Amino acid sequence: MLVLDNLNKTYRTGGHAVKAIDGVSLRIDTGEFVAVCGPSGSGKTTLLMMIAAMLRPSEGTVQLDEKDVYGMTTPQRARFRAQNIGFVFQMFHLIPYLNVLENVLVAGGAISERDGVRARELVQRLGLQHRMHHRPGELSAGEKQRTAMARALLNRPRLILADEPTGNLDPENAQSVLTHLRDFQQDGGTVIVATHGPAAKEFATRTVSLRDGRVEQSS
Amino acid sequence: MSVMRMVLKEVWHRKVNFVLAVLAVTTAVAFSVAFFTAAKASERETARLMLSMGYNVHIIAKDADAGGFLLSGIPDKTMPADCLDKLATQRSIAYNHLLATLEGRMNWQGMDIVLTGIAPEVCPPGQKKPPMTFQVDPGAAYVGHRIATAHGVKEGDIIRLADRELKVKKCLSESGGPDDMRIQCSLADAQGILNQPGQITVIKAVDCLCFEKGDPVATLRKEIGAILPEAQVLQVKALAHARAKQRQMIHNIFAVLLPFVIAACGVWIAVLAITNVRDRQQEIGLLRALGYDTSRVMLLFLGKAVLVGLLGAMAGFLLGTGLGLRYGPGVFEITAKTMIRWEPSLLAFACVLAPLFAILASLVPTMVAVTYDPAATLREE
Repeated sequence: MLVLDNLNKTYRTGGHAVKAIDGVSLRIDTGEFVAVCGPSGSGKTTLLMMIAAMLRPSEGTVQLDEKDVYGMTTPQRARFRAQNIGFVFQMFHLIPYLNVLENVLVAGGAISERDGVRARELVQRLGLQHRMHHRPGELSAGEKQRTAMARALLNRPRLILADEPTGNLDPENAQSVLTHLRDFQQDGGTVIVATHGPAAKEFATRTVSLRDGRVEQSS
Repeated sequence: MSVMRMVLKEVWHRKVNFVLAVLAVTTAVAFSVAFFTAAKASERETARLMLSMGYNVHIIAKDADAGGFLLSGIPDKTMPADCLDKLATQRSIAYNHLLATLEGRMNWQGMDIVLTGIAPEVCPPGQKKPPMTFQVDPGAAYVGHRIATAHGVKEGDIIRLADRELKVKKCLSESGGPDDMRIQCSLADAQGILNQPGQITVIKAVDCLCFEKGDPVATLRKEIGAILPEAQVLQVKALAHARAKQRQMIHNIFAVLLPFVIAACGVWIAVLAITNVRDRQQEIGLLRALGYDTSRVMLLFLGKAVLVGLLGAMAGFLLGTGLGLRYGPGVFEITAKTMIRWEPSLLAFACVLAPLFAILASLVPTMVAVTYDPAATLREE
């Protein structure tokens, strides 16, 4: 279970304080598929980064399965992220000099035989077996995002955070990626998708609307 | 995914950046190897050339008339030959190439000449060097140009001086100096001819104070005075200064140039490392997001630096040695054969120092890389 309690984040730019997240409290149960919606600049990405243990809130706490994420040291947080959280980004963030299989394995840290077998399974499950030894530069946008999906799934995370995962995809590939996210959720994982498009809402079990850093509506 | 494999993959992906970095280390190592080899040869060559200018320290008997010696070149008093042994057995002293001579004027076949008896040159312990002058065997004579010409002396002739017969080993070519009026023989023969058994007039030496600060004459006098209270020391300053200046100049050229080249190559590597880090900001952010800790991200960059250093060391060693072997003999004609050669120990040094150098040059960009905020870099879409 993920609990966000009175999260605040203020950025200081050019002597001005900008409140990106303003008193967000949420409780997300294991197995939920949550779509965080809102216009650009509403604080969706900032919220995801704070949940991801990558951006310390100015105030408030983030607890995943009763563990205070920001009560840990930096190396502990890095380990925690590697073991519990998978990421999918709008821009895919694949490493350009690694092929599909290697990009998936990057999430494993030190390579092991078990990782290798699972990585191949995931590549196959996501329909990328014919692209396994291709580099990102040789893939379509859909293939890139499916590679990122496989990478996110490698460590069997409890939570997948997806920031506009369909933002650069055609409708067909967007459906495919969201389907894979729903499969993960139906296998017991938790998914949080930040989006400003309507597609993800169809797959979500809950929608949270953000505006100016505040939760406007949760349904 | 092992770090080393990622390093190799990244190197292959960004070949130009890698090749340029290796080139920087290669240049630094090649210059260092070539400079080191050339510096050794140059210093030795300079030392040898400077030695050919002659001995610059003269030690004569304490009661000898120094003024008369400076005017005539021959002291009016002698000292015991064992003075040489006292000087030659000292350790950690500031002179070398000790040559004892006994000189005296005499008339030979109606001609005023100088007879010089020469003992074998000796070096103090730990300072063994090839002798600066030729050694004269007992019973042999080297005849000056004017004497030989005036009396028709030829190599192989037997000449008689006082009661001794000497075989002419060589008639010397014209020097334009006092040597043209000199017959040189062994010290023992000269002592017999001049009736000065067990005596010498001058101990000649070369000082080793080229790189010393302060007054070298005072240093020499203090040092030799403590060993030989019965002697006085004169330094031929013109020779000593010329030798010191020349050697210092060569030393300084290398002392300034080498650090400059190395620093320039260090900056070159650092700039490439900065470029590399900037190109890889998103990748670093991703790795941090995936849970890679600081040490693993640093390993990605420093591992590459080690690879750059090792390849640069090997290529630089080959290039530097090749340049030394190719061009060294043309520059250092006297010492090239002995001083410019393949030095495997330099390769070992290069393989240790060049990766350290590359790591040092990459350290700041690497530190910058690990401080990137993953949230900030991943948000920059």
